[in-house]
Amino acid sequence: MSSDYEISDDENYSYEEEEEEDEMEVEDYDDGSASEIEVDGIGDDFKVPGGSERKVYEVDYMSLSQPDVEKIMATDVNYISGIFGVEPAVAAQLLRHMNWNKEKLTDKYMDNASQVSVAAGVDLPPREPTPPPPKASSSRQSSTGPTRTARRSVAETSKTSKSTKRVASPAAGVQSFVCPICFDDSQTETMALMCEHRFCSSCWKEYITSKVRTEAECTITCMAEDCNIVALDPFVKKALTDDMETWERYQELLVRQFVSCIPHLKFCPYPSCTNTVSCVSAATKSSLLTMVPIVACSIPTHVFCFGCPIDADHRPVICAVAKMWLQKCRDDSETANWIKSNTKECSKCQSTIEKNGGCNHMTCKKCKYEFCWVCMGPWSEHGTSWYSCNRYDEKASVDARDAQARSRASLERYLHYYNRWANHEQSAKLSMELYAKTEKKMEEMQITSELTWIQVQFMKKAVDVVFKCRMTLKWTYAMAYYLSLGNEKELFEDNQRDLERAVEELSELIEAPIDPETIMALRQKVTDKTVYVQKRNEIMLEDTAKGYLDGRWSWNATVDGL
Amino acid sequence: MDARLRRVNKEIADCKNDKQSSVTIDLVDESPFHLIGSFDGPEGTPYEGGRFQVDIVIPDNYPFQPVKMKFITKVYHPNVSSASGAICLDILKDAWSPVLTLKSTLISLQSLLCSPEPRDPQDAEVAKHYMTSKSSFEDTARYWTMIYAGGPGKEGLGKGAKGGPRDEIAMAGLDRAHVAQFEALGFDRAKVIDVLRRLNYRGANVANINDDRVVEELLK
Ligand SMILES: [Zn+2]
Ligand SMILES: [Zn+2]
Ligand SMILES: [Zn+2]
Ligand SMILES: [Zn+2]
Ligand SMILES: [Zn+2]
Ligand SMILES: [Zn+2]
Repeated sequence: MSSDYEISDDENYSYEEEEEEDEMEVEDYDDGSASEIEVDGIGDDFKVPGGSERKVYEVDYMSLSQPDVEKIMATDVNYISGIFGVEPAVAAQLLRHMNWNKEKLTDKYMDNASQVSVAAGVDLPPREPTPPPPKASSSRQSSTGPTRTARRSVAETSKTSKSTKRVASPAAGVQSFVCPICFDDSQTETMALMCEHRFCSSCWKEYITSKVRTEAECTITCMAEDCNIVALDPFVKKALTDDMETWERYQELLVRQFVSCIPHLKFCPYPSCTNTVSCVSAATKSSLLTMVPIVACSIPTHVFCFGCPIDADHRPVICAVAKMWLQKCRDDSETANWIKSNTKECSKCQSTIEKNGGCNHMTCKKCKYEFCWVCMGPWSEHGTSWYSCNRYDEKASVDARDAQARSRASLERYLHYYNRWANHEQSAKLSMELYAKTEKKMEEMQITSELTWIQVQFMKKAVDVVFKCRMTLKWTYAMAYYLSLGNEKELFEDNQRDLERAVEELSELIEAPIDPETIMALRQKVTDKTVYVQKRNEIMLEDTAKGYLDGRWSWNATVDGL
Repeated sequence: MDARLRRVNKEIADCKNDKQSSVTIDLVDESPFHLIGSFDGPEGTPYEGGRFQVDIVIPDNYPFQPVKMKFITKVYHPNVSSASGAICLDILKDAWSPVLTLKSTLISLQSLLCSPEPRDPQDAEVAKHYMTSKSSFEDTARYWTMIYAGGPGKEGLGKGAKGGPRDEIAMAGLDRAHVAQFEALGFDRAKVIDVLRRLNYRGANVANINDDRVVEELLK
């Protein structure tokens, strides 16, 4: 897998080039891996006509392990290291700093190597008191301006920085080093980055551990105040000594950082999974308006959407509409609870942000977007146009009044779709219980009939299919809510109704008590129905997917990106 | 000994030995990880003469994570929440460095009082007040300093009575005539103060808000 992938390694990850890469990968990986959802050994009973070719509602993708991704990263690092003539660790930091855009890095580096190196934290700023180069990587510098810096320099920092300087020479081997952080004078092991800000090794270790484990940060700057020098990988490894767990976590963070910079890569969102999925065809925003890129990492149950943060299959509705719907459900049910909750999504890049302390000025770790915790509006607007956010929010009160004034009809319309949506979700959740019941039933069947274990698997398969199709149905209600009235919507709802009816019938069959006399007939019935339900589901998904490609769906609300 | 404990103990001791500075750090109970810091309001500011207390919580991986600080003493300042005391200051967040100390951080808070940054506010209402009328803002900040931080009384402000009843109009930085105007319409004084404060009914801004708007808010 990984060796095939390397074909494209020397290309840049910017968009334009991606297109060519595309086709190469499509040829290599069109193995239908996305559709392997059949239960082992009994798939043959349930084959839906169409074979193993990629369906119109499926997307090509491949799963990469952490070592696979590390190999790709190493190729980039070696390439940059070679052409710049710098250590691989330096090349790696330069790449991270430039979000792995090799072309941009090469251009900027050729233009002014020293400026790039200083900004990336791999070189010291020039000695002359020339104006410091703009620190593009740090949003706080630009947002808070010189006042903050001045304010800070009023503080008693001179003392600490003086003491660092004072100890710089004794640390070379003489005597009585007092670590400026732990104030311990008995420490013999010390470490310093190229800036020679020297601290004891145990402080370095704790600091790096805290950055990596608590803040999930992989760019570790010197501990001295206002020092921008970055601890490179060998330094980090040395400082962590025998703490392999933190070192591994650090490496995972590096991979995550790389993956987040490459539009056609996404890290598996499942807890403690370190796989990455590559999906070239869903790498652009516009592609997401005509497809729902549902993928899975090499672990088949790790199903997620490549295009948005939903960790589940939300076909047939496209990401932007699914998001609108979820937002609506949240706003309409428990707005208050939601605001009180302690995590939110960054309104720019959607990464989850946790509130820390009482200050409402939030900065997204990932994209550096600054916003207000209370109103989620950009922080910059609080500075200039002064819309209020604490206690009194004009916009919120206007919205509240609007909500009251909203016609009963539109609320009822929403509830119509919401209740059906919620019902399928609820039923799907209950299918966990159904699983347990089915297991018992299957044991019973083995005892009361001639059927073997393999032959009673049809029950389990039926439960799986019901679950999957309820998920489809659930999202069809979100889609129907936003579809404009007309012929197309009617056809959509016909398909929806047929699927729903079939699912309910199958559901009933599996829950009915078993009569040993009719077990063979039941098996036939359930198997037939399962095939039929799958077929209805296919039709539903296929028709919506084609509809996107033909531009058949029109929405009754403004869809993000359209 | 635990490095965090050694460091905090040393910081507390250093602060005790320094007789020059107005900054003090005291224990709340036996724990050295929950402290109260105090400093004098800077001279030449509306906070002059006041003594400001700050709640300090030392996180588990201090000094590698920033210390948590908030004002205990109520402060009228754009970068401090007038309700919770929460502080918007970069070194308490991502600009923190392990070489910073409790004392240096308290001194930074002291200088924050000297140089409000209304473009990066914690309390939007206070910031609006500051932007609308600096002198009115300063009167209010001075009044708060007197009421909450033991600052000196000033003639014409709160009738100079430290222990006397609080002047809610001065607390909100409003004009007596404006409050009286809407009180005369039959609204409760507290409600009028609340609405006018929220609408930033001050200085030049008064011309931008018509009476109907105020009444509409009062009726809510
Ligand atoms: Zn140390
Ligand atoms: Zn340094
Ligand atoms: Zn996974
Ligand atoms: Zn999606
Ligand atoms: Zn973000
Ligand atoms: Zn706000």
